[in-house]
Amino acid sequence: MDALIAQADALQSHSKKRKRSHRSDSQPGPSRVSDKTSNSIIKNTSLPHSLRPRADEVVATQQYKHIANPKLRRSLAKTSNHIAQSQALLTDAVDLLPTEETGSVQAEDALERTWRLSQTDIAKEAGAEAARGRMEMKLDGGPYRVRYTRNGRHMAIAGRTGHVASFDTLTGAVHSELQLGETCSDIVFLQDHSFYAVAQHKYTFIYDRDGVEIHKLKDHISPTRLEFLPYHWLLASVGTAGYLKYQDTSTGQLVAQHRTALGACSVLAQNPHNAVLYLGHQNGCVTLWTPNLPHPAVKVLAHLGPLSSISIDPSESGRYMATAGKDGNVKVWDCRNWKGAVREWTLRSGGKGDAEVQWSQKGILAVGSGGSVNMYRSPSIKTSLQPSSQPPLYLTHPLPSASHRPITSLRFAPFQDILTIGHGKGTSSILVPGAGEGGMDTGEGLDLYEGVKGRREREVRGLLDKIQPDMITLDPELIGGLAPPSKLVIGTSGGSGSSRATEIPFARLPRAERLRVSGKADLTEEPTSDAESVGDASDGSKPKAMTKEEREKKKMRGKGKSLKRYLRKQRKNVIDPTAVAIRAKIEKQKAERKAEIRKAKYGDEPQEKSTALDRFKRTSKE
Amino acid sequence: MVKISVLQHDPSSHTATRPGDPTPVSRNLDPLMHPFSRARERTRALNAAKMDRMFAKPFVGALEGHVDAVEVLAKQGDSISTVASGSWDGGVIVHNLSQRTHIARLPQAHKGKVTGLCFAEDSRLLSCGVDRNVKLWRLDSDEPINVFPGKFAFNSIDHQRSSSLFATASTLVQVWDENKSAPISNLTFPTSTETISSVRFNLSEASILASVGSDRTFTLYDIRTGKAERRVVMQMRANALSWSPTFPTNILLASEDHNLYTFDIRRLGAPSLIYKGHVAAVMSCDWSPTGTEFVSGGWDRTVRIWQTDQGHSPEVYHTKRMQRVTSTLFTTDARFVLSGSDDGNVRIWKGKASERLGIVTARERAALEYRSSLVNRWKMDKEVGKVARTRHLPKPVYAAHKLKHTMLESRRVKEERRRKHTRAGESKPKPERKKVVLAEQS
Repeated sequence: MDALIAQADALQSHSKKRKRSHRSDSQPGPSRVSDKTSNSIIKNTSLPHSLRPRADEVVATQQYKHIANPKLRRSLAKTSNHIAQSQALLTDAVDLLPTEETGSVQAEDALERTWRLSQTDIAKEAGAEAARGRMEMKLDGGPYRVRYTRNGRHMAIAGRTGHVASFDTLTGAVHSELQLGETCSDIVFLQDHSFYAVAQHKYTFIYDRDGVEIHKLKDHISPTRLEFLPYHWLLASVGTAGYLKYQDTSTGQLVAQHRTALGACSVLAQNPHNAVLYLGHQNGCVTLWTPNLPHPAVKVLAHLGPLSSISIDPSESGRYMATAGKDGNVKVWDCRNWKGAVREWTLRSGGKGDAEVQWSQKGILAVGSGGSVNMYRSPSIKTSLQPSSQPPLYLTHPLPSASHRPITSLRFAPFQDILTIGHGKGTSSILVPGAGEGGMDTGEGLDLYEGVKGRREREVRGLLDKIQPDMITLDPELIGGLAPPSKLVIGTSGGSGSSRATEIPFARLPRAERLRVSGKADLTEEPTSDAESVGDASDGSKPKAMTKEEREKKKMRGKGKSLKRYLRKQRKNVIDPTAVAIRAKIEKQKAERKAEIRKAKYGDEPQEKSTALDRFKRTSKE
Repeated sequence: MVKISVLQHDPSSHTATRPGDPTPVSRNLDPLMHPFSRARERTRALNAAKMDRMFAKPFVGALEGHVDAVEVLAKQGDSISTVASGSWDGGVIVHNLSQRTHIARLPQAHKGKVTGLCFAEDSRLLSCGVDRNVKLWRLDSDEPINVFPGKFAFNSIDHQRSSSLFATASTLVQVWDENKSAPISNLTFPTSTETISSVRFNLSEASILASVGSDRTFTLYDIRTGKAERRVVMQMRANALSWSPTFPTNILLASEDHNLYTFDIRRLGAPSLIYKGHVAAVMSCDWSPTGTEFVSGGWDRTVRIWQTDQGHSPEVYHTKRMQRVTSTLFTTDARFVLSGSDDGNVRIWKGKASERLGIVTARERAALEYRSSLVNRWKMDKEVGKVARTRHLPKPVYAAHKLKHTMLESRRVKEERRRKHTRAGESKPKPERKKVVLAEQS
């Protein structure tokens, strides 16, 4: 047996041995030759993770040496190593991935006025292929609402008199065209172009790509605006009754209905980054809604008058919101801080008619009012300026004639530099350089050229990954984040007092508390308190800070001094000249000590601060 | 003069040029293009955890043939499929696992119950029973090659891996040679009056022998010196033991106090880990050949599979008809688990409950690995962790678990209160691992 024990002792422990062998692996040897053939095919042959060769470089990361528990230390080190490796891979991938150029307008000098460019100029400069995006559709169905699919390929229009059509913008093929014969106030595509929902006079209806009526949503009564939340598969509507309703389009259930109690509502927008819905009301309020709250998450008085349009900026993770009101103002808000608008300006057309606002993927704000559409670029509209004035125009586009009014809808085509305006005489698409995001993503379905198979697979995957409606929160990073620390204060056993909290036995305390009580808590990450730093500064002459025990031991309790002891022994109510003298002396010493500390801290002796009450101070007699 | 450029996509780089080509894939790693990525990953992890539980069908099949309770199981070290089982009626059956057939049937191998089985070299089988005989069998004949008569009823037998020596356990440990009819040495601790219940040779240092006995002891012998080297007295007796196949100094004990213990024999003062989970005495245990997990069977009618570094939340297997599990075994390919129980069946279980039998393609395997890593990553999430952790237990086991928890909890609270009302520092809490060993003798 001794032989066995000796053998086992001669071996290193398990973890150490592995570490050493690993290190020898990672050393670049002369025998290692990069195999070009394997490198070329490795992207296309997806090996399971366990069969893959180990990552060559081991990134030196934090070692967590201060953590005593070896298991925890190992898992922490492993995690941080993994994170470092994947970040390195990500930067590699970013370098390798082809980036597509975005459109732009580059002026030669700063004084050049880009807003003077007309659509014909832009179309001429951009070339014939790009100019195909410029399109005018003359239609008789009254003012039109426009909507694109998420990949920007298909477009649907709904005229107020009931003319509904959906078509492919690339090929120009019409999928369906319907004359519904009743008022249609909004249209929205569901997960892709194969279904769309129309807000009609009485109910919301769902049609398929060919225009066949699939569902009549009887719960959505007299809707005015529709929105679809693609990752939650929720169709939301708001109507003249002022109810916000969420319908799950994968199960068909009405998930939630909220009574806004603010009357008829005709302004609805979604924040694509946290799936919160923004409603604009008649009384000038903007309210933010989630399915799991029966009341608005946020309520802001945005305008002095009814709201006419809301849009959320997709380029900065839903941080900015633009609102337009019937009071003739446009305001840009910071959604993290609701204390007033970041920037506001008055519309050129005044308050006549409804203004429409819309952000593009790259953060260009289009404001349509009266007979023209104005476009503004990002940094200027998000910086506050006093007094409020018009931000510099980027581009402007007047409607051809007064009969085209009113502008009822503005939509930027995703992944293209196109803005489509819905107005009284149909729709017109104009070119806005720099509006669209260049890089498409096939995995998310954000691909202009997505095929049938890809779309089908994405639909199935999207259904599997459907997020539950009650996970919608204002902060999307809440999921998977650290739990907020509990506000409950836990007393430990052994402490004085008879409250119930002190009854909790040691073994049932939370782990952090147990570590703290037993003195094993990791205090390295705690910032040193201000009191300690001040104390260190005052006795700067000492070479090294004392340990906690030493400090505790040497701490003056205030009872040791003989003068103080003498004073304590005196009776308080007897005025004794010696006691008075000693008291004065102690006060003087205290002041001196204070001054010394101040001197050590600030160098020279500062003047006493003069206050307004100084004039009443009695000066001492000379 | 201004320069104007408008975003244009080249259709040829986004569509397949020829029919049959794969569609080109474009990626944009901007996080703004992937909203809700965390929430979607959590949904995926939750689905993965649910799928894992949905596919958890661990029962593979039962090997029939015994008319009474199965007492002991033994595997052949150099074969994947050969396993022998011995029963209370004195019968021994050698099974072929892959074909589920009987290689050999020895209905009357012993009078009374067969208590020990082990394979010797050249596919020979050693069996011992309460009829005070050890018999050596060849698998192709019904008659024993050799019979070794003893003085006491035997409880356990183990053969050295590559020699002709074997050891038996009765009231003492005896070492035999296959070629001699009498034991070549008797091993016993000087002051012991116990009944040895199990004996096992160390797998790498073949002269070291460990035994557990009825007087709550665990003893280590060296057959070269011919005496007991160390003895550890514990709180409760151990029913079975098993040496680790990968760490020669590690030994696993299945204890009567519902726990399993691993000991490093260099430090016998305390177990290196306690495995808590059974709600009745643990009757048997066996390591996986990988040494990273082991199986145990208990009086509570469950089979549990433990990770070596995790002392809690094992995988639990049970069926309605399975009675007290008397013997368990990990197969030599580390994929399956065998359990022999009081109802006379030997059951085959998967080592991983949700593993798919049969050929798994590389894509499937990559998906499985992705799913398991997702579950591992999100196991701290309340919902995902709950799905991944929860195991359905039979009602009596669940009730026993709750009762046991209540009892232990009240004991602990009492201890806390007692300590609170004694003078500070008078009685320190004793770590759980230090409570197990009462005395270490040598």
